[in-house]
Amino acid sequence: MTRNVTIWKILSYLIMITFTLLTILPLIWMFLNALKPHALIVRNPLMPPVSFYVLNFVRSWTQGHLGVYFSNSIFYSMVSTLITVFIAMGSGYALSKFSYRSSRVIYMFYTLGLLITVHSVIVPLFIMETKLGMANTRLGVIIPYIAFGLPFQIFLATTYIKGIPDAMQESAIIDGATFLQVFRKIILPVATPIISTMFIYTFLGNWNEFILVQTLTSDISIRSLPVGINSFAGGMSRDYGLQFAALTIGTVPMVIFYLIFRDKIAQGFAAGATKE
Amino acid sequence: MGFANYTKILADPIFQHSLRNNLLIVAISVFGQIPLGFLLAFMLHRKMVKGGEFYQTMIFLPITISPVVVALLWNQIFSASGLITAIVRRIYDDPRYVMTIFENRNLAILPILFVLLWMHTGTYMIIYLANLQKITPSVLEAAQIDGASESQMLGRIILPSMIGTIATTAILAISGSLKAFDLIFAMTGGGPAHFTEVIALYMYTNTFKYYKYGYGSAVSILIVLLAVGLILILQTISRRIERNYE
Repeated sequence: MTRNVTIWKILSYLIMITFTLLTILPLIWMFLNALKPHALIVRNPLMPPVSFYVLNFVRSWTQGHLGVYFSNSIFYSMVSTLITVFIAMGSGYALSKFSYRSSRVIYMFYTLGLLITVHSVIVPLFIMETKLGMANTRLGVIIPYIAFGLPFQIFLATTYIKGIPDAMQESAIIDGATFLQVFRKIILPVATPIISTMFIYTFLGNWNEFILVQTLTSDISIRSLPVGINSFAGGMSRDYGLQFAALTIGTVPMVIFYLIFRDKIAQGFAAGATKE
Repeated sequence: MGFANYTKILADPIFQHSLRNNLLIVAISVFGQIPLGFLLAFMLHRKMVKGGEFYQTMIFLPITISPVVVALLWNQIFSASGLITAIVRRIYDDPRYVMTIFENRNLAILPILFVLLWMHTGTYMIIYLANLQKITPSVLEAAQIDGASESQMLGRIILPSMIGTIATTAILAISGSLKAFDLIFAMTGGGPAHFTEVIALYMYTNTFKYYKYGYGSAVSILIVLLAVGLILILQTISRRIERNYE
């Protein structure tokens, strides 16, 4: 039996360390190359940087308009995440506590949205937005973000609020509270853990979203960071130093975000495949 | 009109190649990401390594990085002037070696499969970890006292109680692989010469590059049909397995 356990232990360490190195080493390599000028990267991608060539960061930030993209990304992610979570909480409350006869149908309708993927509707969405004059506007990005975020968030909110005992709401209502007061004073405070999970999960998804912005917008002034970083790959410039710097700029904030909110992100992902 | 678009799509060799690539992506998700993720979750749950928290954090990390960043980074690693070329040159002392995997019609998809494995294994690990925590610890402890080995516990207790979760994640994996888009779009754009084309990209280029809206819509219908078909097959299989355990 002890031999058996040792084999498992050796195997575990082997796999864990391999995976960890595969995650860390490319990121470190990326960061080191971002500190080297283009010519040095081409000559030897393995060599560590001789000096801190910060110019890469300055040039990729200014030439690549990364400042504009960055603030757009923050704007899109914040605004659409706030609205998504707000609507999802409201719907979750209504769907789980009001016991309308139509609740089940509406809930099913919402969760059906989980099956609709971005790329299966991108063509009609693009045509619709062009006809409505919404293509290439900020509104034209935010509304699809909310629409694609809602099904899963409503699922999370509804299942969580269902778990809050009815007695809490009933005693408040007997004391003369309105539903809106119950929502603000009881449901929201009790649901804080799920709200933060929803917020962080949605924010992450919106921040990394690429294809909607790529398709629905064309002006630099309203595009987001992933699209901006992608433009370093193609025609704009083949300066590897700039590219590595742009990649680093795109990665570092997210790694910090991840290290702070890891548990919440994990919860969001795990909730999607948890059987009740 | 009518079904003309569909027959044209199915007869297109580029579509056939992208279908093959998509099926390979489905295969790497179902037979690569899921078993590996499960193995990792099992090892972490059984506390086989010290500092499991650290490994867990590291393996799950790729999920936060934008697919576009991941694509460009790994492109730099696999490209002809990239990291692998440099490492092989150093090891074999052969300054003329060049990484040419993207120039091979059959193998060009391999780097993408690898990156997909790299990106998503952690997600499955997290999902399985969350579900493993629901197995009553006393059951495992009792088995351990009775002298069951780790492999026996895995095969007799843990796997049977996780079949539902594995089936759910397999459905997620299949529908997720058919929409594999962002990563490949940014990594190769389906090139060179459509070697790494996938159905979703095929749809995108036909619609937005050649303005064939009807044709593109027909492709997206095919994607939905394919996903539903694969998921139905999967459900029959998993139901049969579940019946075996009952």
